[in-house]
Amino acid sequence: MRIVVLGAGHVGAAVVEALHEEHDITVIDTDARRLAPLADRYDVRTLEGNGATKAILRQAGVEDIDLLIACSPNEYANLVAATVVKKLSRAKVIVRTSSIEYLEAWREREIDVDFMVSSELETANAILGHIGVPAARQTDVFADGQVQVVEFDVLESAAQSGVIGVPLREAALPPDSRVVAIIRGESMVPARGDERIEPGDRVIVIASPAAAQAWSRVIAGDTKTVEDIVVFGCGRMGQTIARVLLDREIRVRMVDADHGRAQEAAEELQEARVFHASAFDPDFLVRERIGEETAAVFAMNDDAKNLYAGVLAELQGVHLTIALAHDPGAVDVYERAGIDLPLNPRQVIAEELVRFAHDPRIRQIAMLEHDRFEILDLTVRAESELAGRRLDELPQTGSVIGAIVRDGSVIFPHGADVLRPRDRVIIFVESERASLVERVL
Amino acid sequence: MLKWVGAAFLAPAAVAAGYGEAAWPFLVSAVITAGCGLGLDQITGEKRGMAVGPRESFLVVALIWLLVPIFGALPFVLGDVPQLARLGDAYFESVSGFTATGATVLTDVEALDHAMLFWRQLSHWLGGMGIIVLAVAVLPRLRVGGRQLLQSELAGPTEIERFTATIRETARRLWTLYVGLTVVAILVLAAVGWTGLDDAMTPFQAVSHAFSVIALGGFSTQNESAAAFVPLTQYLLLLFMILAGVNFLRLYRLLVQRQVQVVRTDEELRLYGAFLVLGSALIVIELLAGDFAQGEEAVRTGMFQAVAIMSTTGFGTADYTEWGPLAVMTLLLLMFVGASAGSTGGSIKVIRHLLLFKLVKRELDSTIHREIVRPITANGVPVEERSLRSMVVFVLLYLLTFAIGSLALLLDARFGGTELTAFEAIGASAACIGNVGPAFGFAGPFGSYAPMSDLSTGILTLLMWLGRMEIIPVAVLLSRNYWRG
Repeated sequence: MRIVVLGAGHVGAAVVEALHEEHDITVIDTDARRLAPLADRYDVRTLEGNGATKAILRQAGVEDIDLLIACSPNEYANLVAATVVKKLSRAKVIVRTSSIEYLEAWREREIDVDFMVSSELETANAILGHIGVPAARQTDVFADGQVQVVEFDVLESAAQSGVIGVPLREAALPPDSRVVAIIRGESMVPARGDERIEPGDRVIVIASPAAAQAWSRVIAGDTKTVEDIVVFGCGRMGQTIARVLLDREIRVRMVDADHGRAQEAAEELQEARVFHASAFDPDFLVRERIGEETAAVFAMNDDAKNLYAGVLAELQGVHLTIALAHDPGAVDVYERAGIDLPLNPRQVIAEELVRFAHDPRIRQIAMLEHDRFEILDLTVRAESELAGRRLDELPQTGSVIGAIVRDGSVIFPHGADVLRPRDRVIIFVESERASLVERVL
Repeated sequence: MLKWVGAAFLAPAAVAAGYGEAAWPFLVSAVITAGCGLGLDQITGEKRGMAVGPRESFLVVALIWLLVPIFGALPFVLGDVPQLARLGDAYFESVSGFTATGATVLTDVEALDHAMLFWRQLSHWLGGMGIIVLAVAVLPRLRVGGRQLLQSELAGPTEIERFTATIRETARRLWTLYVGLTVVAILVLAAVGWTGLDDAMTPFQAVSHAFSVIALGGFSTQNESAAAFVPLTQYLLLLFMILAGVNFLRLYRLLVQRQVQVVRTDEELRLYGAFLVLGSALIVIELLAGDFAQGEEAVRTGMFQAVAIMSTTGFGTADYTEWGPLAVMTLLLLMFVGASAGSTGGSIKVIRHLLLFKLVKRELDSTIHREIVRPITANGVPVEERSLRSMVVFVLLYLLTFAIGSLALLLDARFGGTELTAFEAIGASAACIGNVGPAFGFAGPFGSYAPMSDLSTGILTLLMWLGRMEIIPVAVLLSRNYWRG
C-alpha cells in the first residue's frame, strides 16, 4: 500500500515504525528536525511543509495513495488534510483528534472520514476500565464501553467462590460474561465447558462492565471500587479523563500548577473540584486528604513530573496510581518506581492506527500477554463462509467470539447463537492466527 | 431623542381634548421640547463625525435621565397643578415617573385632570422603554451590571445568540414584547371593566394601570392605589407585576420562542420565585397571626404587597404602614431585593443576590481549601471575575448611597424642622434608590412625600436617578480620572 503519514511526532513515529517494512510511506511534517530521524532510521520519503495545503499534499502524490494517516497533534490540520485527500483521491483516511465532539460527529457520519481516533479518549477509557475492575491485571474497553476485556490473576483466596476448581459449565459464572482463555504457566488452555479454573491461573474474560465488576469480586473478593479520584494535570488529556470519570459518577478532583489551565478546567468541568496547586507539595496532599481512600491519575505533559508526583502520592498512601508515560521508555521506569499502571497514550493510539492499516474492518484491537493474544473488534463480511452458522459449529481453533454487537446492542453469545453477516464481533485470537481469522470472517 | 418625547406630549393632549380639559400645557410642552430637540440636532448634526466613545456615553446616558424629566415636568408647571406648585416637587414627580419609581408628592391624586394623570402614567411607560434599553444594551456596554449578567442565560441554542447580535435588534424585539405585554394588560384590565366585574376599572383606568404595572412604576390614578379595585383586579395586577419583574430576555424566550425548558431551569428565575414565596409567606403569617387581616384578604394583600415592593412597583392594596413589625421589616428588606436583571424593575436585582450568595459560598470553601479554583457561574456559564468585582462594588456603593441618603434626610429634618423618624428616613431612602416608590410612615402606599422639605425631595430625586443609573456610571463621572486624560 502507498501510505501518507501526516505528522512525525510520537504517534507518527510509532506508525512509521510499525508499517515501514511492508508499505510505501511518505511522512509530512512542518518541522524538518522531526523528519530527519525518521528518514535516517527507516526507508521512508519525508516532505517538509504544511500538510493541510493542497500544494504539499499533491507534492506527496496523494492522488495515487491508498491510505492517509493524519496523526499530527493539530486536529484541524488533520481534518483539512483528510478533506482535501478525500477530494483528490480514492484513498481511505484516518484522522487523529483530541476532541470528543468531533469523534461523536464522525460516529453520526457528519464528518466524512473512514476512521477517527482520539488518544485522550482511548486513554480515558483505559483508565476507566481499570478502576472499574480493581482486581484486574489488564482491562480493555470495547464497543464504546459496552464490552470489557479483563485479565485476572486467580488467587488462592478465591477458591471458595464457586467458580474455581469447578468445570466451567457448572460454575456460577457472572451472567453476560464469557471466559475466553485460561493461561496456566506458559501455556494457554482453551476455555471449554469441562475445563476448570485453578488458583494461580490467569483468566481472560469478555464481559459487560457490570459482569466485569462481578468477576472482580469473585476473583479477589474485592468489593472496593474507586470512588474518589484526583487527576493531576488539567490539560486536554486531564480534562478528557475527568469528563469520562465524571460521566460515570465518580468523584473527581483536579490539580494543576498553572492557574489558567486550572481555571479553564473548572469552567469546563463544573462537577469537578479543581485546585491550583503543585503536585509536588506534600502539604497540599495532606491538607486535601489525598491519601488512602484515593486513586490518582497523573496526566501532566512531563514524564519526569508524572513520575515524581506519582511516587510522592504513593508515599502518602494513595492506593492506586495511574501515570501517563509519553516517552515509550518511561513505562519501564514507572514500573520500577512502583507506579501501579503506566499508560502510553501515543502507543495506544498508534496501535489502533496500525491495525486499521492492516484491515479497515477492524475497529479496535487489544494486545494481551505481551502480544501473544489479541482481542479484535471486527465486522463479519457479508460473503463470509462462516456467516449463518451456529457458534458451536465454527471450526475449533482456540479463537473465541466473546461478544457480538448487533444493531447497536451487545450480545454475550452461547453455542446455539448464529453468526450473521455484518455482525460486529469481539473475538479473542492468538496473534499468530489473527490474519487467518481476518481472512475467513 | 427629545423630539420623540415632544411627540409623546400629543397623547395626553388628545386625552385632554377628549375630556374637555385644557390641552394647551401639553401642546406648549411639546413645542418647547421638540424645539430643543431639533435645536440640539442642529448643533450636534454638524459635528456628526465626532466619535462618542464609552467615556462620552457615560455622560450622555447620565444627562438624558436628568434632562428628560425636566421637560417631563413642563406640563405640571404650565398646567398650574396646585399640589406641584414648587418646582422641586414637579421635577420630583417627573423623575419618579421616568425612572418608574412611583413615589409621589401628591396627597390627593384624584384632584388632578385626566390629562395630567395620564401624563404621569405615560411617563412611567416611556421610562420603562428607556430602562429596557438601558438595562439590556447601554449599561452592559459600559461594563456596569456586566453584560455577562444578562448573557448568562443566553447560553444554549444558537438562535438566541443571534438575538444579542445587535443592540438595535435586541432593543426592537424587547420593545415589541414590552408593547405587546402592555396591550395585553390593557385588554385584560379593560375586559374586567366591560364585563362589569369591576366598575371602577374604566378604559382610562385600564390604560393608566397597564402603563404603570408593565413599567413596574407604581403611580396610580387613585388615592387608594390598587385598593380602589375589586380583588379580581388586584390578582390580575399581581400577575402582571410578577410577569414584568422577569428578565425580558427570558420572557421573550418563554412567550415568543416557547422555550419552556430553558426558562424552567433558569437560576435567577428560581431565586426570584423563592424570594417572592418567602416574602409573601412571612407577611401573610404576620397578617394572620397579628390579626391585621383575615383569610383570603390576608393572603391576597400579603402577596400583593410583597410582590409590589419586591418588583419595585409600589402599588398598594392596604396601608401596610399599620401592619406588625415583622411584615414591615420584611417589606423593607424586599426593597433591597428588586426584580430580575433585564426587567423594568430597580434595586439590587435578583441575579446579584444569586451571585453574591455564590461568592460567599466560594469564600467559605476557599477558607478551608486554599487552592480551590471555583468559577462563579450563572446558569452554568462562568462569570468573569471582573464582572463579579464590579458587582460587589455596585452592591457596596448601593448600600453606601442608601446610608448616606437616609442620613442626609435626617440631617435636613433636624435643621429643616420637619418630623421624620429614623425608620421613615430609612424607608424613604431605600424606596427611592430602589425605584420602589412608597415607603413607610407618611410616605406609605396611600400617603405621599409631600411633608418633605424641598431639600429632602431633592435628595430623594437624586437617589431615584442614582438607583436607575445603577450608580456606577454616575460615580465614574464624579471620579477625577474621568475628566483627566
